[in-house]
Amino acid sequence: MVDRNLLGNIDWTLIFLLLLNSFVGVIFIYSCSHYSPGNFYLKQILWIILSLVVLFLFLLFDYKVLVTYSFYFYFVIICILGGVLIFGRFLRGAKSWIVFPFFHAQPSEIAKIILILLLAFVFSEFKTERLSWGKGALSAGVVALPFILVALQPDLGTALSYLPIFLASTILAGLNKKTVIFLLIISLILGLFAWNFVLRDYQKKRLTTLIFPGQDPLGSSYHVTQSKIAIGSGGLLGKGYKKGTQSQLRFLPARHTDFIFSVIGEEFGFLGVTLALFLYFIFLLRLFKSVGQSRDRAGVYIVFMVAMMIVFQFLVNVMMVIGFFPVTGIPLPFYSYGGSSLLTNYLGISLVLNVKMRRFVNV
Amino acid sequence: MKGNRIYEDLFPIIRRANGILFLLKIIFIFLILSFWKVQILDHEKYWQRSEANRIREIALPSHRGLILDRNGKILADNRGSFKVSLIRENCKDLDKSCRRVARLLKMDEAVLKERIKKYESLPLFKPIVVKENLSLEDVIRIEARKLEFPELILQTEPKRFYPFGNLAAHVVGYIQELSPQDIEKGLYEKKRLGDLVGRTGVEKEFEPVLAGRDGKLLEVVDSLGRAKGEVSKQEPGKGKDLTLTLDFDLQKKAEELLEGKEGAVIVLDPRTGEILALASYPTYDPNRFINRFTSEEWIGIVNSPVFPLENRAIRGLYSPGSIFKLTMALGALDLGLINDRTTFFCSGTIRIYGQTFSCMAKSGHGSMNLYSGIRNSCNIFFYQLGKMMDIERISYYAEMLGFGKKTGVDLIGEKEGLVPNPAWKEKVKNEPWQPGETISVSIGQGPLLVTPIQVAVQTALIANRGRSIIPHLVKSGSREKEGSGSQAFGSESEQVKIDPSNFEKVIRGMWEGVNNEGTGRAAKVDQFDVCGKTGSTQLMSQEKIDQIRGMGKEIKTHSWFTGFAPKDHPQVVVTVLVEYGGMGGATAAPIARQLFELYRENNGRQKSSGQY
Repeated sequence: MVDRNLLGNIDWTLIFLLLLNSFVGVIFIYSCSHYSPGNFYLKQILWIILSLVVLFLFLLFDYKVLVTYSFYFYFVIICILGGVLIFGRFLRGAKSWIVFPFFHAQPSEIAKIILILLLAFVFSEFKTERLSWGKGALSAGVVALPFILVALQPDLGTALSYLPIFLASTILAGLNKKTVIFLLIISLILGLFAWNFVLRDYQKKRLTTLIFPGQDPLGSSYHVTQSKIAIGSGGLLGKGYKKGTQSQLRFLPARHTDFIFSVIGEEFGFLGVTLALFLYFIFLLRLFKSVGQSRDRAGVYIVFMVAMMIVFQFLVNVMMVIGFFPVTGIPLPFYSYGGSSLLTNYLGISLVLNVKMRRFVNV
Repeated sequence: MKGNRIYEDLFPIIRRANGILFLLKIIFIFLILSFWKVQILDHEKYWQRSEANRIREIALPSHRGLILDRNGKILADNRGSFKVSLIRENCKDLDKSCRRVARLLKMDEAVLKERIKKYESLPLFKPIVVKENLSLEDVIRIEARKLEFPELILQTEPKRFYPFGNLAAHVVGYIQELSPQDIEKGLYEKKRLGDLVGRTGVEKEFEPVLAGRDGKLLEVVDSLGRAKGEVSKQEPGKGKDLTLTLDFDLQKKAEELLEGKEGAVIVLDPRTGEILALASYPTYDPNRFINRFTSEEWIGIVNSPVFPLENRAIRGLYSPGSIFKLTMALGALDLGLINDRTTFFCSGTIRIYGQTFSCMAKSGHGSMNLYSGIRNSCNIFFYQLGKMMDIERISYYAEMLGFGKKTGVDLIGEKEGLVPNPAWKEKVKNEPWQPGETISVSIGQGPLLVTPIQVAVQTALIANRGRSIIPHLVKSGSREKEGSGSQAFGSESEQVKIDPSNFEKVIRGMWEGVNNEGTGRAAKVDQFDVCGKTGSTQLMSQEKIDQIRGMGKEIKTHSWFTGFAPKDHPQVVVTVLVEYGGMGGATAAPIARQLFELYRENNGRQKSSGQY
């Protein structure tokens, strides 16, 4: 099924950068959780290995085939999301988890990959200069359905991470400026609507916290305050590995998951942060440079949407830890502890590799 | 892109992707700048906050120094007690926490909340004492559920205890919890909220000596407030014990004698200025003030019409009445206006400056000289002296002999009293001095105001034949230089510029007053040569009269007695003031007698044991 030629075309540099970033994450997961039960760093390593295996297995299928059958995947995932909503049990305040005997899985994460495939399918034969209303509405509908289901769980953070995928597809399809303005107005109205009728109190609180972080140091802004203290107290060189007081003494909440970047900031300072950002940037750059390296339109869309999916999570997370964005519960891809997120992002990268390695294949 | 086989023209979409990449680069630069701001520019701020986050400072209260009487009897002691404090920083939800803590400590939630609200202004990491004097049962309950209540810390605390309650309360003073206002004012730099500090008396005056140095424990804590280990521990330094000059027996007797009255007693040693007893009545139990007593009780004490908190001995302002005749006599003798052969005739009344002034004896004392004038406390005799001296010279001698200025006793809040003169009246009342007022002043009435301690100090000066003393409560050996705000005392005394022979003459008059059927005869003690002077003062203002009438009291004069013994080698001065006590000879003098007797008895015993 896979010939040697294809294997030779695998972007090993990208895989190297992927693993590099993943192991930096493990180092800091260890630093901030080695004293508590759970062996998170070990589990993360296992997840990385598992995800890597899945990544390679996934390469076996031509993305073209996946795109062709994407609608069926979509149908299945919508059913699962709907099922989770009805039958799922609450875990950490949201019904986003399916409980398996050994681990919990978040179908809302896998939904991202399926969305990417389906949107690639939608736009694969779209060759017009500008995005048409019909396609725009179709793609919006495709994203809106899982978005609503996930937002109802309620897991607004994950739901929001579907938007960059949608945005990526429409940008490539030629979204004009008027449409951008129109969308902004729509989102403003939606935002107002959401604020008044949809958002839960804790979500509203998170948003207000973003604007007035100092008001209530023990309340909802506690996360952001502690994170900023961690980062700020790190200074230029940091407090040293496993010596960050904020993380070691548990002042920093969700330190091995959402706030892993604060641990880097505290223990390795500005220099460490810059280095981590640099590593991440190289990785993202590699992804963006892969955009053109595809044999067809669907491939270009896939690579770009994956890149945007990761960029969005990365930006939201990093801006969250220094208080520019509300605490949404979006992890830092590859760094944060968490199997579902890791697997999803690895699958995304797998798609990119898939597209790249098959760029010379003649259909 | 040589080698990349592109079957379609994808260039426009790749261009769009590159546009996004460009945007991403800008965002990265912005991110780095943001981290620069937080980590480099604001580093100091966050560094301090992270330090505060992890290190909790716990004060280890020091043992307050004991307060002892001159014979080592403990007047202020310490007892161990448990208290529990709440650290708001460790509460996840303050309201919920209050509810749980109130249930745990079996206290009213509203009271707890009010208490926390009172200390709202303080940093979140500072503990607020929520309950003290815990029962053993409470302690066990809190200790057992420690893990469920990370916001509570249980501490032992040495607690002040006054074994004799009321005894010498005005001297010893009391301690109270620091209020947030005090802390904001920075009055007690090294003190923390919930600390108890001396509020009055010796407890306040010698606060720095008694307080010792609080130790502190710095411990690393996690965000749940659980201790992760000590950083450093500074053991508390015990406060120094303070030995007072007070004599327990005399103090106790003095208070017993005052019981049911309002007044003050001072017993001091004229040789050194050591105060042997200083009593003020009504009094209070300082043990009540250490507890976080209910506010109604406090308000009750503060607003009591008889002012139990007021130390009348150093803060009560009274007309000296006939006590002032001693000053008049010394002044007139020193000026040479009279000598011991000068006589005036007392017919019961006299007209001076167009006004009629009367003597206590309506029918008159007849011919009076200095000795009989003092003995009988003849007003007419002293009216004449007043007329001869005039107000300027009267006030000169009054000040020379210690009135109108603080005695320098080592107690907080002493008052100065008032020695009037024409300039004072011009300034304060904007009226010229009336000659008739001089006549009033010459028998210790009018605007003249003195405190009992001033009278006692003046009596000591007379007993010493002109050598003044500074009264003090703390024995020289136990006083610390660093701690004391007041200046020198006792040993540094000065001689007033009046010839000692004039003192002898006045003392003879005082001796006769007690021992020769004078006004002070009720103070006579066999074989103890008491010399003294009585005084009975009219009440000062109409306002005060109304107040007293409102309380349903009969209007009586204040009753004074001041004296010393023995005549030739004085060892003890006794000054007694009883408010509304009637005639000095009837009320104050018998109290003084009993104190002289007790002193003599105790002193005699000491002497004989010394000889043995």
